Amino acid sequence: MVLGLWTWVFVLLAVEITHPKSDKTKGVRPESKGPDLRNLKGIYMKPLLSIGALVLLLSTAIAQQKTPPPPGAARPLNLPKLTEKKLSNGLTVVLAPLPNVPKVTAILTFRSATNATDRAKHPGIAQIAATVANEGTDTRTSKQIKEELRSIGGSLSLASDADSTNMSATALSEFSTRLFDLMSDVTQHPAFPENELKLAQDNTIQQIRAGRADPNFLVNERFQKAIFGNHPYSFVVPDEKSISALTRTDLRGFVATYYIPNTSHLIVVGDIDPDKTFAEIEKAFGSWKSGSVPAEENPPVPVRDKRQIYFVNRPGSIQSGIYIGNVSIPRKDNDYFAIRTANTIYGGSFYSRLTRNIREAKGYTYSPFSSSNTQLKTGSFVAGAFVRNEVTGPTLLEILYELDRMRVLPVTDEELNAAKEYSTGNFSVELASQSGLAGRIATIYTYDLSKDFITDFRPKIQGLTAADIQRVAAKYFDTYHAAVVIVGDWDKVKDQVTPFGDVTMYDAEGNVITK
Amino acid sequence: MLAVSLSTTQAKPINVPVVYYKLPNGLKVVISEDHLAPVVTVGVYYNVGFRVEPKGRTGFAHLFEHMMFQGSANVKKFEHAKYVEANGGSLNGHTDFDYTNYFETLPSNRVEMGLWLESDRMRSLDISEENLKNQQNVVSEEIRVNVLNQPYQFFEWIDLWENSFTNWNNAHNGYGDLAEVNAATIDDVRNFFKTYYAPNNAVLTVVGDVDVDDVKKMVAKHFAGIPAQPVPPRPDLTEPPQTKEKRVSQTDKLANLPALATGYHIPAQNSPDFPAMALLVQILQGDDSSRWYQRLVKEKELSLDLTGGLNYFGNEFDYNGPMIMTTRTTYKPGHTADEILAQMDAVIADVAAKGVTEKELADAKVRYRSNFYSQLESSFGKTHLLSSLALFRDDPSQINSLLTPFQDVTAAQVKTAAAKYLLATNRTVIVRVPEAKPAPKTGE
Repeated sequence: MVLGLWTWVFVLLAVEITHPKSDKTKGVRPESKGPDLRNLKGIYMKPLLSIGALVLLLSTAIAQQKTPPPPGAARPLNLPKLTEKKLSNGLTVVLAPLPNVPKVTAILTFRSATNATDRAKHPGIAQIAATVANEGTDTRTSKQIKEELRSIGGSLSLASDADSTNMSATALSEFSTRLFDLMSDVTQHPAFPENELKLAQDNTIQQIRAGRADPNFLVNERFQKAIFGNHPYSFVVPDEKSISALTRTDLRGFVATYYIPNTSHLIVVGDIDPDKTFAEIEKAFGSWKSGSVPAEENPPVPVRDKRQIYFVNRPGSIQSGIYIGNVSIPRKDNDYFAIRTANTIYGGSFYSRLTRNIREAKGYTYSPFSSSNTQLKTGSFVAGAFVRNEVTGPTLLEILYELDRMRVLPVTDEELNAAKEYSTGNFSVELASQSGLAGRIATIYTYDLSKDFITDFRPKIQGLTAADIQRVAAKYFDTYHAAVVIVGDWDKVKDQVTPFGDVTMYDAEGNVITK
Repeated sequence: MLAVSLSTTQAKPINVPVVYYKLPNGLKVVISEDHLAPVVTVGVYYNVGFRVEPKGRTGFAHLFEHMMFQGSANVKKFEHAKYVEANGGSLNGHTDFDYTNYFETLPSNRVEMGLWLESDRMRSLDISEENLKNQQNVVSEEIRVNVLNQPYQFFEWIDLWENSFTNWNNAHNGYGDLAEVNAATIDDVRNFFKTYYAPNNAVLTVVGDVDVDDVKKMVAKHFAGIPAQPVPPRPDLTEPPQTKEKRVSQTDKLANLPALATGYHIPAQNSPDFPAMALLVQILQGDDSSRWYQRLVKEKELSLDLTGGLNYFGNEFDYNGPMIMTTRTTYKPGHTADEILAQMDAVIADVAAKGVTEKELADAKVRYRSNFYSQLESSFGKTHLLSSLALFRDDPSQINSLLTPFQDVTAAQVKTAAAKYLLATNRTVIVRVPEAKPAPKTGE
């Protein structure tokens, strides 16, 4: 009986819903409630509810709510509790329990950049050191390290970026002691065996060659070089000769200098008891010897006196990969929150201006984006898209137009409020994962931010005004001095590109070539 | 030494709370509370993937996924994204072999927003010709950026499936031929919606910081009135057994280095051999300690990398039809595919003849367990597993016992699986080498 009723309601609705604007639907509704109910909007529930259970079912079925439901009461944020301690050798340790699964996630950061002081002498030394450090210690072979990781359900890898080298490691929490022992061994006693170094050198060279077939690699590499010039942040990958020249002695010297406790921080998040975990860390890392990292001096970033196009020619390319941007600010800068939010509105979220324009309105591209990348010494802002050859020029125009619109007109209250909610809501999601929380805590130490960054995040974002957004856009979304990097087929798109500025052309290996 | 290293610690029992029921219209509903963080994921999984899209319409299931963001009766084109993001969330959709999912992760007090949005498009998708054309352009660019303009062009998926399978449903290109993507009509969209996007062909899953009773009321309010449709036909996905090795040679206009991919047909998920097969995959290629990685990348120094898995896009539980184990490797110039294959075969022969060690298996189980926990870490990860289990097994509570058969596998079973399934006659090999071109200049 109930089933029958439901079926009847379904048929009724099927007609209504499939052709909501059709006149025909009005005639087939025996109770003539359909059209009337729709016009009554929110208020029709009350009279229907009083009629009884049968109509209650009917009303439930028909009630296709027209407007979005309001939020419920705010839930507790459950912000993680951080404990910061120091070992006697100076290692900063930060612990945060997050027992969402019985695992532990650790990040150990060394103050040794890809592009640190040794770069003039040994370009890429930080990168190769990071690659080979976990391929053998004084007491473990590479294979033994990988097998130990498997037996604790863990992972351990090192990567160097513009400001530091990060060792990221995970394990089942039941094996946390073994994980810390392994991390400590790789940190203090990497052996850089000759055969492993040679293999890593050969493979890195081949991987870079493979990367030069990938337009994503090419557009990013040229963009970093264009905006950072001689500043070490321009470094993406070393050249082959520099890779081959590195010796075991170079690497051991580099690690001895930079992998030291008093300039490093270890973040541990997961299913942990802070006191017990700290004791384990103290045991594993207590013997690590402190030292000093040499001071760095870096050349300034280049200043463009006009917009400049950097074109990487990729004959046969069926799309143009476009990056447009410029230098911005260090992470620590007071404008961080404003640029971050301007980025959300411009192209850093799905419902952003750039996506609505060149994807949803014009269909030029699948994945338009913008990104604010702020680091220790400076940062960059970039907007971009991969588009079919025929719409390369129109895409450049729209990206620049949307940047200029951010500079000259204030964002709407609706956009600003949405961006604030987007940032704070997704911040909670980030902090709910072990790697997200550990990574976020690590940035506080790497970029020398306020220790209250996590608790301050929400009020700082909420305090922004449309004037703040316009001010930072005017300053950092500078279309007149932007670097415009395009990877594509020059012969196919040159007529669309040349109106936008002077062009310097490169091949995939990075050599300047004539057009 | 061996006894000491064996990981005998008792795993913590998995205890994901699961409430499961069906609405009268057939919609499967899964709710799982988790109050650790103030977030919630709302996911809707439809029992339709690219295996069942119509002939002549390759890529249609995926194109249709895009159409689900193009508006419904009360949510205008692309406003779905606006509502989710302006409420502090993130969203996406994904088309796979056997399911298409839509999900949003939100602050948990906005759970009803997610439910309302999903109900509106399940009930009343509203597509115009203009929006279809727009998304045909967007999807064409997606295919260009992810496939056609890339070196290797996803050959380890698209080409490997085209060659490994004989049944069109399994074999065809799920990303789609550009011409067929662009040939789709608005009637195709409407028919596909009516056939597959019905509540009785879907699972709604809510995971996070919510109250089960509250969510039940919201679900009834927003979903109970959506009409059921006739159950869509289940296509014949059966695949004749392979009896002869298939080898395909390809050249690549964009790539600089040679690569190869292999696909072996694997036993069905309900086969007693399946858990052993999963552990065998772990032992052969699951991580850097694995036998194939060690042999190819480290010992013989032939390969640069090794990727793949039992289900290239997902896990052991989120598909529902014939599957191949995928392996892909980029290898160094100056070597041949036969050298790579000879080494892979030697490893298989060793496992098939001598089996794996007890420690190797015990460690592989620890690794397997650890990877499984990682899938449970986020509200989305749990949503994905619960939805898959509800969709394909009608029993999401299995999430709490899912590991058991894999932890019970014996070394003898792994040996048997290698001997039974990793036969050359059961595989397809694609060798993809760079098209001859001038030698690249080196250095900068």
